[in-house]
Amino acid sequence: MNIDPTIISNIFGDFTPIAPMIIMILGALIMPAIYLSSKRRNLVTGAMLAVIIISIIINFVLLVGEYTGTYAELFTYDAFSGLMILLFQTVVFLVALVSAASTETTRLYYGAYSSLLLAATTGMMFVATAGDLLTIFLGVELVSISSYALVAMKRNDPRAAEAAVKYVIIGGISTALTIYGISMLYGVTGTTNIADIATVLSTDGFSWAFGIAMITIIAGYGFKIAAVPFHMWAPDVYEGAATPVSLFLATGSKKMGLVVFFKIFLVLFVAGSAVASFATVEMQYVFAIIAAITMTVGNVVAIAQPNIKRMLAYSSIAQAGYILIVMAVMSEYALTGGLFHMFTHVFMKGGAFLIVGALISVGIGEKISDYRGLAKRAPFVAFAMLLFLFSLAGIPPLAGFTSKFILFSSAIYGDGGVMTQWIWLAFIAILNSAISLYYYARVVKAMYIEKGETTDKIKIPNAFAVAIAICVVFVIILGIYPQLILDFCSNAAAALFA
Amino acid sequence: MFDLPEIPYLLTLLVVLPLIGAIITLFMGNERAKYAKYTAATMSGITLILTFFLLLAKNLSVYSENYAWIESAGLKMSYILQIDGLSILMVFLTALLVFLVTIFSSHQEDKPNYFFALLLAMEVGLMGVYMSADYFLFYIMWEVTLIPMYFMISWFGGPRRHYAAIKFFIYTHVASLVMLIGIFAIAIQAAAGGVVDFSFAAVAIGASAFSSTFQIFVFGLLFFGFAVKMPIVPFHTWLPDAHTEAPTAGSVLLAAVMLKMGSYGIIRVCLEVLPDGAVWWQPAMVVIAIVAILYGAYACIAQKDLKKMVAFSSISHMGMVLLGIACLSEVGVEFAIFLMFAHGLITAVLFMTCGLAHDLFETREIPLLGGLAGKVPIYAAFMMFGFMASLGLPGLVGFWGEFGIIFAFYEYSFSINMIWLIIFCLMSLMLTAGYYLWAMQRSLFGKLTDKIETAHLRDINKSEAFALVIVCGLIALFGLWPDLALGYISDYTSSLVTLGVVI
Repeated sequence: MNIDPTIISNIFGDFTPIAPMIIMILGALIMPAIYLSSKRRNLVTGAMLAVIIISIIINFVLLVGEYTGTYAELFTYDAFSGLMILLFQTVVFLVALVSAASTETTRLYYGAYSSLLLAATTGMMFVATAGDLLTIFLGVELVSISSYALVAMKRNDPRAAEAAVKYVIIGGISTALTIYGISMLYGVTGTTNIADIATVLSTDGFSWAFGIAMITIIAGYGFKIAAVPFHMWAPDVYEGAATPVSLFLATGSKKMGLVVFFKIFLVLFVAGSAVASFATVEMQYVFAIIAAITMTVGNVVAIAQPNIKRMLAYSSIAQAGYILIVMAVMSEYALTGGLFHMFTHVFMKGGAFLIVGALISVGIGEKISDYRGLAKRAPFVAFAMLLFLFSLAGIPPLAGFTSKFILFSSAIYGDGGVMTQWIWLAFIAILNSAISLYYYARVVKAMYIEKGETTDKIKIPNAFAVAIAICVVFVIILGIYPQLILDFCSNAAAALFA
Repeated sequence: MFDLPEIPYLLTLLVVLPLIGAIITLFMGNERAKYAKYTAATMSGITLILTFFLLLAKNLSVYSENYAWIESAGLKMSYILQIDGLSILMVFLTALLVFLVTIFSSHQEDKPNYFFALLLAMEVGLMGVYMSADYFLFYIMWEVTLIPMYFMISWFGGPRRHYAAIKFFIYTHVASLVMLIGIFAIAIQAAAGGVVDFSFAAVAIGASAFSSTFQIFVFGLLFFGFAVKMPIVPFHTWLPDAHTEAPTAGSVLLAAVMLKMGSYGIIRVCLEVLPDGAVWWQPAMVVIAIVAILYGAYACIAQKDLKKMVAFSSISHMGMVLLGIACLSEVGVEFAIFLMFAHGLITAVLFMTCGLAHDLFETREIPLLGGLAGKVPIYAAFMMFGFMASLGLPGLVGFWGEFGIIFAFYEYSFSINMIWLIIFCLMSLMLTAGYYLWAMQRSLFGKLTDKIETAHLRDINKSEAFALVIVCGLIALFGLWPDLALGYISDYTSSLVTLGVVI
């Protein structure tokens, strides 16, 4: 495609690298005003979607036009940040689309809800462009504080209150750990710019302060991606929050944590090549062990969950474990696979959460047993759920298979075609895939094979149907024609490693 | 022979026609459901007719399709379909049996649109497995066969169908995942630093540089993946459950075509790509095969359920196939492939008749049956024919497979100075004859049973007889004229000799 990014840079001038965020944050500011003046949820949703679509178009033009630029030496737009911005925009688009239709949001203060949603997305987008520890920190805080409020907003539900309190406390600890690690890094190196830190470290070498800083940063952001052992909050929060918010946290917020990991650790240990001489192998082992434990705990605990939202939460933990393979292998090819898997995960996990949300909106519970006989009551919803779950389990020819194929093969095959030492990690990942099939198949069994109490047809809200259809289309297309996004992923990986 | 025109995109048609059929059939709900069987029969019939163009083609290599599919991030996957002497018989068998079980099951009352759509969906996967020449496509097709079979068992199966279906699904899925690691390993090693090309041709070129240690290790991974599918003792436990619970049509396809995917993979991937690994694993394969043959045969004697007995006999016969492959000689592999084909035809008869037992007598328990030959003579004749073919009666197709394999195994045991090994083969022949004759005696002959209601038994109907007559005819035809099939196979096995894979 030939798209010229100057169309955008003529309008935004110096602000071009942060143009998609500017639109988003303006949207966040005017949403409460629209709600106050009209009191109509559908109008606010429409405005929200309009803002998001404009932002997506701007970002898409920049991304396809291969635009690169830096704003104020803090925010850099390149193939990597552009792709991640697109990911966050996709997530918020799906969430915004169904927000008004979901009965779980009827008692929320909708103006604040929509504003917080856009603000949180802006935070994620800033993280994607940031090249400095402080801007990363600020972006993450913007997301965290907005999402505490988003979880707590479901006021009449004690589960939501409990979840929000847990989330705030855990989030506070995570913030404290991170800022502590960042200040130690600043003490050691005298800068907060990641690339500069890499340069300083390559001359100064390893120090204990640096090691401690690394551990606290891993722990701090480990909470964000719910890596084991920092995962305890995730199932409670996903279960307690309104389903669109759970969707947002599971597919958006978690991806942001992974982006932070990629930004900090891949740049420090691989791209700043000189640093690679020390501590890289140790770091790789740390991440390999975290990845192996995260995916195993996620999958094994998911088996025992009777509540579908909790099951999906644990399966999200497992999926984060798969993506952490990238951090263990630290190769460009692995990052390509990781980014691709992050995209397919948005559609398959997002789709599954959308279905859960849609069914809650028509009065079906969250228990797996509530899904009995669903294939008779809502054949297309059940079939979409089957596709999402099989895709999550990695059954071909769906998107989840193709992305896992590339991601797992990266643990065997490093850049330059050499066998890596991480083949054991690929084994664990593949065994985990097999375990996961068991609990996904349980839902399929409930929907298709067990008989429900009634066979009354279900009609889900149109907004949900559209969002689910979008996810179905992408789960199939990315499975058979992955090149649609794969080239962007490999460009993004190359940009981060450059 | 005949001069048939070349059909463009023939191989793709063989995959796409059943797919279109499956989609159309699926949407024939409610009052249109009774026409689902006609759609299914038409689509699978056309597919079957198209395979004759392959069987009668002078040169198989003209039928080859190759399109790039994914080329990104240092990976290259292609859509490549090819056909050769090994795959053509399997393709024919698939097309034939899907068509025949569609006819056979034309009285399906319960959700016929789903039932026939699943049969056609299975055909898509099976055709894909046997024709794909790219490991990525091969793996996808391999997994595509799983899901229709899972639903086939869990929707249309017997009382313990949920347990059997999930056991089948997870067991074979784990095995395929292990196989997937093996596929990664060979593709990456063959690429040697360049673009990882998953096509069979590219891997074959790179394979010449594989070290023996690598070959031995990866052979283990791939062999495990394929052996579970075959299945080989001790990874066989999913099979008796799946067979007992599956509906007749599912059992036929499972035993006759899906199990062959395992032995097909061993020949196609393990032997062709990893010959040194095969030599290292040869003694282990021989032992595993003999254990499978004898264990399967012994287990048959103890079975009370007709279908379960046939399931265990499949394990025994697939052990025989593995024994033929394990000889690593031209004769051995040639007759192993022949036995794959022969066993496909024979188990079709066996599962059709044993599955019918449930429809006719409302039980498959051998102790409850007895003296039924007089009541249902046509049924009894087909069952006897199937049993005779399976125990290797000369003049029928099963005989040639076992004859050739035992010959090859004799050569092998002679070459390693352990000629006494042949005793195990002979024991298995005796056991096989024993359990079939005993089962026949107890169920068909002797005093008429009083444990079931025998006053109003129906004999088999026309559509069932049609399917059985065709398969039985082919069993006799290939039994009398084995060269008809061996012609294709020997082309393939002589190419293995050229490659130096077998002696």
